[in-house]
Amino acid sequence: MPRPLSTFLIAIIALLPRAGSAAPVDFTKEIAPIFSQRCLRCHNAEEKKGKWSLATAEEFFKKRGGHEDAVVRGDPENSMLVDLISPLSKHEAEMPKEGDPLTRDEVALVRRWIAEGAPWPEGFVIEPRKRGDKSWWSLQPLRPGNANLLIGENPEERSDSPIGRLAFPGSPIDRLLLAKLKENGLAMNPPAEPRDLIRRATFDLTGLPPAPEEVEAFIQACAAGADKAYAALIDRLLASPRYGEQWGRHWLDVVRFGESTGFERNIIHEDAWPFRDYVIRSLNDDKPFDRFILEHLAGDQLAPGDPAVEVGTGFLVAGPYDNVGNQDVKAQAQIRANTLDDVITATGSAFLGLTVHCARCHDHKFDPIPQADYYRLQAAFAGVQQGARPLATTAEREAAARKREPFDQEMAALKTDLAALTTRPEGSPPLTPEEEARKAELLARQPVLEKQIAKAGALTKAWIGIFSQPGAATYLMKGGDPQKHGEEIVPASLAVLEVAPKYDLPLNAPEAARRLALARWIVAPENPLTPRVLANRVWHWHFGTGIVDTPSDFGYMGGRPTHPALLDYLALRLQANGWRLKPLHREIMLSQAYRQSSAWRKDGADHDHDARLLWRFPPRRLSAEELRDTMLAVSGKLDLAKSSGPGFRLYQYLNDNVSTYVPLDRVGPETYRRAVFHQNARASTVDLLTEFDAPDCAFSTPRRSSTTTPLQALTLFNHAFTVDMSNALAERLRADAGTEITAQVRRGMALAYGREPAPAEQAEAERVVAAHGLPAFCRALLNSNELLYLP
Amino acid sequence: MNSHYTRRHFLSQSTQGLGGIALACLLAADRARGATNWPQFPPKAKRVLHVFCPGGFSAMDSFDHKPELEKRDGQPLPGEENMVTFQGKNGPLMRSPFGFSVRGQSGKMISDMLPALGAHADDIAFLHGMTSRSNTHGPGCVFMNTGFVLEGFPSAGAWASYALGSANENLPAYVAIPDIRGEPPNGKANWAAGFLPARHQGIALSAAQPIRNLARPAEVTSEEDEATRGLLAQLNAGHAARHPGEDELAARIAAYELAARMQLAAPEATDLTREPAEAHQLYGTNDANPLKAAYARNCLLSRRLLERGVRYVSLYCASRASGVDGLLNWDAHKTLKADYERHMPILDTPTAALLTDLKQRGLLADTLVLFTTEFGRMPTRQNGTSGRDHNPDGFTCWMMGAGVKGGMSFGATDEFGRRAVTDITTVHDFYATVLHLLGIEHTKLTYYNNGIDRRLTDVHGRVIKEVLA
Repeated sequence: MPRPLSTFLIAIIALLPRAGSAAPVDFTKEIAPIFSQRCLRCHNAEEKKGKWSLATAEEFFKKRGGHEDAVVRGDPENSMLVDLISPLSKHEAEMPKEGDPLTRDEVALVRRWIAEGAPWPEGFVIEPRKRGDKSWWSLQPLRPGNANLLIGENPEERSDSPIGRLAFPGSPIDRLLLAKLKENGLAMNPPAEPRDLIRRATFDLTGLPPAPEEVEAFIQACAAGADKAYAALIDRLLASPRYGEQWGRHWLDVVRFGESTGFERNIIHEDAWPFRDYVIRSLNDDKPFDRFILEHLAGDQLAPGDPAVEVGTGFLVAGPYDNVGNQDVKAQAQIRANTLDDVITATGSAFLGLTVHCARCHDHKFDPIPQADYYRLQAAFAGVQQGARPLATTAEREAAARKREPFDQEMAALKTDLAALTTRPEGSPPLTPEEEARKAELLARQPVLEKQIAKAGALTKAWIGIFSQPGAATYLMKGGDPQKHGEEIVPASLAVLEVAPKYDLPLNAPEAARRLALARWIVAPENPLTPRVLANRVWHWHFGTGIVDTPSDFGYMGGRPTHPALLDYLALRLQANGWRLKPLHREIMLSQAYRQSSAWRKDGADHDHDARLLWRFPPRRLSAEELRDTMLAVSGKLDLAKSSGPGFRLYQYLNDNVSTYVPLDRVGPETYRRAVFHQNARASTVDLLTEFDAPDCAFSTPRRSSTTTPLQALTLFNHAFTVDMSNALAERLRADAGTEITAQVRRGMALAYGREPAPAEQAEAERVVAAHGLPAFCRALLNSNELLYLP
Repeated sequence: MNSHYTRRHFLSQSTQGLGGIALACLLAADRARGATNWPQFPPKAKRVLHVFCPGGFSAMDSFDHKPELEKRDGQPLPGEENMVTFQGKNGPLMRSPFGFSVRGQSGKMISDMLPALGAHADDIAFLHGMTSRSNTHGPGCVFMNTGFVLEGFPSAGAWASYALGSANENLPAYVAIPDIRGEPPNGKANWAAGFLPARHQGIALSAAQPIRNLARPAEVTSEEDEATRGLLAQLNAGHAARHPGEDELAARIAAYELAARMQLAAPEATDLTREPAEAHQLYGTNDANPLKAAYARNCLLSRRLLERGVRYVSLYCASRASGVDGLLNWDAHKTLKADYERHMPILDTPTAALLTDLKQRGLLADTLVLFTTEFGRMPTRQNGTSGRDHNPDGFTCWMMGAGVKGGMSFGATDEFGRRAVTDITTVHDFYATVLHLLGIEHTKLTYYNNGIDRRLTDVHGRVIKEVLA
């Protein structure tokens, strides 16, 4: 690392909060919480694991026969406790046995406290922390104090500053990361090679490989000026329509978007795709995310008559539901409660990172979420029904009304005439033959007319939910049982979060007002959860793991932030950028952390195997969709023209009261679209996508698995799709490179890997092509690790 | 020289003894949260055969004899005269159309439609007090398989795979065998891995349907296939050498080795022609009824898989709820007699043959056999029909084999079979017991998902000690 940067870092670290603070350690505020959270689960007054409790001073300082003193006041070096919580050169600290080791900060605090004489206020008892309370980190306001220091600099000016002329610009992101790395005795990798960097960034933002020509052009541009070339690359990728397809797919995971009902009947939804297109479009337009969230919950209220906005409520009905037609009243109530539970779970997880769904039957066991909060959300969604509703402009609605007007008039007249013939006073004479004929004529005409009215008035519908005023109040359900009513619950803000502005609506508040009030509360500037959760998701999708590694759970059972200050910085940046993602992508991707190489280092891996501290850029496997799209792109078959509209299917759909999805063995060019346009039915297996961990979307999927299995190998090696793509790639190589095998192999490697072949590879590939033909070579390329793993 | 290159080199050069190393690579790469060393205590059962009869298998027409129904046929159900259940109104009590006879030393009364299964009565522990949380097929099936009525949770077989892995890494740890008539209600959700890593999902296969993508593509010759494999190995070796330290690359190279071995092992395991004629005769694989013959072949296949170390086999007898009630599964809403006269012979002799075979081979000593359904049926006739509606309040499942006491019944429904009233058991109790027999304390087998350390038994479950041998 260049010396000037290190010097600079020392200056920055000095500015960071806590470091170098001279005030004595405050036991109750700084030490007791560490003991409470990290030690007392086992070393408490009852369990006394190892015959030692940290609950009271008496127990803590007790002389134990035959043992050295756990703590020697004023002498951390001779206090066993310090040894137990400090890492040895290669090994993690001995304590705590369960959970993450204490951070360096925490160990340093304990040492300092002991050095200061280990003062313990008389009678102070430390309670074991078994759950989060209102002081839980994620429920606190964003910390502008911390981050302001870092935002103070105008990032646009930095490239001209002395730091900007270093190999890496010292962005606030990097400073926060580097400080933590340095604490752990680690440093970042050197910059990635331009060839690797363009591959990484192109996949990250578009989900597709860079074309060989783009790779070579970028390398040349980097030679002239790496920073400028790289910034231009990021801007080009962010402007690509492929960006919305890639990041839209991420978001569709979070909102559990599936295109069938799920459950027993699992009927396919033919009209859910407008929501998918809306997500892609919104991301491409860089729509402010607070607006995007408002539209998800109440788009119908924000812009009635504007399909582009109304479609947002597809979020509410994107989950599975049971539509089997149960006649048992109790079962119906349970099914309805389950349907609403899906919306409540999705809302809590996607926007707030709160597991509100865990408070359905009782107060949350680990987070300060009262059971009533769950039913506050239920009250907000009480009028939401699964279903399709017209998605049309005001003009379209008016035109339809005009078209059906003459039929409506005829129907009114018909009904009057028919009534005169059928509902006659008692004692009226029987109908004459003419009247009978007229009646028959009218009765025959009526159904025809009904059809004409329906046809003339038809509006395009989409699966974006139906709303109606709830007939009954919402009650808390004791034990989660719909038959056991507790108190009445009004639609209101959640009690778990005290820092956001509160609201209370009347018990019978209009249905739409409930959703709108909730949506506004979720995106209120004072609400720290929403921007934190979103910023963390963005980070997670860039680096593979979030600053919090449970992106939909910021509670006690979730992960703790590795870099709390960085998370708040990003959240504040997001708000400052008007909730637009693209500036945030840009800032993250321009960081040194993002641009470093992914090379494995022993010192890094020994200390931080998963590179949570970002001593390297974490390499990753392609997602299921990226893999399929890449096979199509490399083979020259990817159809980018059909980038909207009804989806394609990799299964045959059969319905006989219930649905069966039979995976297709052979698929045609109609499926050569990006995988985000696949009609994702629930509980359907679709080979490549399922095998490579595409989620079923029964629930929100904040973080995909990335597994390695023999069945993946079987699918990728043997499925007819691979054979078809191998043949297509072979055809392309002949077209691009002519008949010379050498040139064909070179072109194949350029398309698949973006590089030249090594001599040994070239020789072996040529031998295989000569003996078995081009497809044999292409099938190997499409199965290879270099195609599947990003540097 | 780094160790991963050596390992890879070894894998690509060697032709045998790869299994353990390949698996170790995969496991290292899996990095599943919460993974620990199972079993925790010596298990009674090493593998599980799970027979599932979807559609709602009627207890009072099979294993839960109700003399009172015979006496009070046509009379209203006391206290629930106007009962509205899943499909609507109910009529009066309806006796079973089938006779019952004493089976085995234990004196168990079993339907005359199930004589062959009846012959195993002395080895079976019947659970007559089973209850479910759903009266709907889809959620009911998913509940019976995963412990949750909502989709998205791992099935019992996936949990077993997660905890215990496979005893034969050349075959999947968890196999689901759908019936030739189709998938059960809620289809693949019944054998999904849920939020567990995908490798724990049930692999669907049957005597009629091999593992998908197992075979070399028809248009590729074996010589070309080998050449591609060789080139792939070289490309991957070069790539791994340029990227030292990456466990995942080694794991994926190992996955191709395992896949190749599975390509050899799975066809052998599923090839029923390797069975002698007597075996085919015992199971009835050539029965004149094609549905019965198909199920019999699946029974024979189950034995071959269990024998070869598959950890958990889910064997389905019947399928989904078709447009005609009770046609394709046990969902006898309107014509119970005709429906069960169709389904019971399919179930009876092939399943009994499988049990006999397991016993004869000594496999029953460490194989746990489960017989389940998503719920039972009402003792009443559905209004205006001769069928029964869904009944989640009391029904029968059973266990047999490893560690299970035979010839006993635990729990009971009331005199009509309307509700479980004595020693009531739940799906969570059922799986607490299954896990116990596998050497696993059910509260300890957890996996974090979205706020909660999830369990197969949710936050419930009691080991049904009474049925343990």
